[in-house]
Amino acid sequence: MQPDQVVLLAVLALPFAGAVVTPFVYRVLGERTAYFAAGIAAVCLALLVSQYGNWGTVTVNWISTASLDISLVLYLDGLSFLIALLASGVGVLIFVYSGAYMQGETGKVKYYTTLLVFMGSMLGIALVVDLISLFVFWELTSISSFILIGHYQRTPSSQYAARKSMLITVSGGLFLLVGFLILHFVSGQALGDMTFTLIGTEQSLIGVPGKTSNAAAIRKALHSTGLFVPVLVLLAIGAAAKSAQVPLHIWLPDAMEAPTPVSAFLHSATMVKAGVYLIARFRPLFVPEDVITAEGWTLLFVVLGLATMTITAMLAVGSTDIKELLAYSTASHLGLIIAGFGLAEVAGGETGVFHILNHASFKATLFLVAGIIAHEAGTRTISDLGGLWRELPVTAAIAVVASLSMAGIPPFNGFYSKELLFEATWITAEHLGGIAWVLPVVAVFGSVFTFLYSIRFAMLFFGDRPDGLGEIHRPPLAMLVPTGLLALLVIGISIWPQVAIDLIVNDALASTVPGEVHHFTVHFPPKISPALLMSAITIFTGAIAYRFYDRIHGGIRRARSVPFLTANYYYNSIVEGLRRESDLVPRYVQTRILRTYAAVVLLSVSALVLAGYAVAGVAVPIQLVPDLALPIVVILCVAVVGAWAVNTASSHVAGVLTLSILGFMVAVFYVLASAPDLALTQLVIETLVLVIFLLVLDKLPEFYGEIRRSRAVVDACIAGVVGITVTVTVLLATATDPNNVIAGFFIERAGVPEEHGQILLDWGGGGNIVNVILVDFRAFDTMGEISVIAMAALAVLTLIGMRNRGESA
Amino acid sequence: MSTQPTIIARTVVRTVVPIIILTAISLVLQGHNLPGGGFIGGVLTAIALALVYITYGSEYLTEELLPNSNEDRRLPDTSEEQSGLLSGAVGAYNVTFVFGLALTAGAGLVAIALGYTFLAQSALFVSQVPIYGMLELASALVFDLGVFFVVSGALLTILAVVGDE
Repeated sequence: MQPDQVVLLAVLALPFAGAVVTPFVYRVLGERTAYFAAGIAAVCLALLVSQYGNWGTVTVNWISTASLDISLVLYLDGLSFLIALLASGVGVLIFVYSGAYMQGETGKVKYYTTLLVFMGSMLGIALVVDLISLFVFWELTSISSFILIGHYQRTPSSQYAARKSMLITVSGGLFLLVGFLILHFVSGQALGDMTFTLIGTEQSLIGVPGKTSNAAAIRKALHSTGLFVPVLVLLAIGAAAKSAQVPLHIWLPDAMEAPTPVSAFLHSATMVKAGVYLIARFRPLFVPEDVITAEGWTLLFVVLGLATMTITAMLAVGSTDIKELLAYSTASHLGLIIAGFGLAEVAGGETGVFHILNHASFKATLFLVAGIIAHEAGTRTISDLGGLWRELPVTAAIAVVASLSMAGIPPFNGFYSKELLFEATWITAEHLGGIAWVLPVVAVFGSVFTFLYSIRFAMLFFGDRPDGLGEIHRPPLAMLVPTGLLALLVIGISIWPQVAIDLIVNDALASTVPGEVHHFTVHFPPKISPALLMSAITIFTGAIAYRFYDRIHGGIRRARSVPFLTANYYYNSIVEGLRRESDLVPRYVQTRILRTYAAVVLLSVSALVLAGYAVAGVAVPIQLVPDLALPIVVILCVAVVGAWAVNTASSHVAGVLTLSILGFMVAVFYVLASAPDLALTQLVIETLVLVIFLLVLDKLPEFYGEIRRSRAVVDACIAGVVGITVTVTVLLATATDPNNVIAGFFIERAGVPEEHGQILLDWGGGGNIVNVILVDFRAFDTMGEISVIAMAALAVLTLIGMRNRGESA
Repeated sequence: MSTQPTIIARTVVRTVVPIIILTAISLVLQGHNLPGGGFIGGVLTAIALALVYITYGSEYLTEELLPNSNEDRRLPDTSEEQSGLLSGAVGAYNVTFVFGLALTAGAGLVAIALGYTFLAQSALFVSQVPIYGMLELASALVFDLGVFFVVSGALLTILAVVGDE
């Protein structure tokens, strides 16, 4: 059964519509705007759930021309449903929580508006499968994330963090765009017609799952054009930037400058999942059926994922701030998911989709717990916190459940997805042998660190209470209830993992594997398997290593203090270098001297135009002896003499007068060329220029000083280049003779026909063709032109007339 | 102006300006069938007023030609420094070009309201008009008038603001 088009579009449109009215709602509701936003999220959630099981495609034509066929293609299947469910479901809880957390903060209108826009964009990423719309929503999430990270826009650390995330995620998106365009190009070779649609239609890149498969043809075309590896790398860079993979993970810890609900929503449950989602979505395109390793794909994503998982888990152990710890841990778990999708083995896909759900459940919980701690204890520094269970017993219970799940300890849900990863690495290693045995070893090694920081987080609630810790308040219900609900979700999935799988995870898995998918089951392993052994090693080693936590923590911090070992060092050097480069711009380009601006603009225009002609390889038609009537020749000669006289004029008055000789000669030329309208216009404009000169003449200085010879030579060269460009352009433009359909139409239609009724509709009805073109055939153009004139007047008004207004106010 | 214009200039401008404005109006009206049109007419009008401005000064223009503008056009809350921009001569020019822009857009919207495409033009032929005989009323004239107002208003705004410097 197909999903309902209206419902899906409503899910997409509602958050944006809500964002538009939020400023007005805020005036009425004030602090309770949070519940308005939560209501919108709840409606989206309900609409989405109503479409559960209606997997299929909805196509809405958007831009449809011969050369460009872009339609909004919505596609609902298990994977998109899962991501959309997280976006709207976690959204409801986050909005409720925000109502309490943001109490008394500034900028709430901006906060709720942006958060709603973000939720809409995230739903967009989940639901659309045409690559153009996908890219638009992709960048929209980056931009809303930028605004939310920079919520406290006056603090320098916020500004730094917001800029960093913007630079990394948006530029990652640009890599993605290039990849999409290449795929679009290749699809033309493989399928006949070029398409932007990824999946869900007959003509899409992947095809309709279960019916048609275009993936093999696309892969073949990619190989034959040599674009396979570039596309893969481009997609990987885009996904890695969004999902904070090494070495682009550096923006995520800084993004913790955002208010905690934002961190929980964007930077753990949803936005960072976008990159992971992208990889899952493209998996059927690049991974053939029934293989253990997919060419290029496995190597790239397994290395990327496992490296990120291990490195960021170590960095999490080295963290001193609870939100920093959670941020690194988020990057680490995203690495786990990506490694899972990288493995072509079926257990790999199972790891990925199941961990998307599990990670969202326990990590969003932990962020909300961190928010409660920061809000009630007033500090986020790990060493300043301890023994919190006395004051926050409920929060402590929630945190313990979520932390144990994050650590991968049975029987919690994190354990099941980690088991799947261990299983997938083991099977892959068994098949490949040799160097591939590194995979399970690294997976265990990284998991040990995951275990360490998870336990450290839970220990915030136990042990001795540090002396510096002040009074701790009870959290308000609006903060506790969403956290508790998420914790219940963790417990629910832990007790009945199979229910979650049957409901949604299995369908999501089907979206990430090519061909048929078998129904997969998880249960507590009944007998000892390699994967169980790996889990046991992880927990055992972790338990021993936890005794030395402080030493490991110190060691990692020492390693981090070596500048060239950290990715931040390179980021900061690049940004600083670019900043220094941009200081050169005012020195050489923005000189505040009109001469420089004119030279730069004129020369670059000339260069572009001439280069264009050179690339197009046009031949300049040269007519040595033009056949001109004698009067025209005389007029043009006088004009040339006038132009020469302007340059040698001794005073301003003489200069202005000789300049008008040139202008009036051009007008006479128009008369001779039988263009009375042009001549009239030229005459009036010439007069106007003269009048303006009269206005300013006695304000101009008498004498400008001697011009240096070198400067005169440079100016002459610039003038010469511009002259040549214009001459060549005129020669080329007049030499080509386009078919005169348009001219014929104008001539035929402009006048009054022989026989006509009282009202004339289809004809111009005017004797002056030029005027009829201006006011009738091309009236829209004219309207644009007079708008420009009006805008120029407005610009003069505001720039000159009101320039002193700002300082006095 | 540093020096007072001569009596010759004053007399010539006094006689020439009405002629220029008359010419401008006739150019606009005949533009549909003969050389002319809103743009040319607009520039000519701007020139005429600019001549007045140069020879007689801006005070003359605001006080003698637009006597009511200082009281009427002033917004209720304008302070002294704003009055030069949004009221007086410049205020009148602003209103002119905004009105012109509205007129052109309105001409287009009327066509939509009647069920044609945006900016579609038509002509109505009225016969047996005294003196003229057969007369063509083109809807394009409304559009052209809009162009006229925009061009003259905008040019005069620029001239007045820059001239005040």
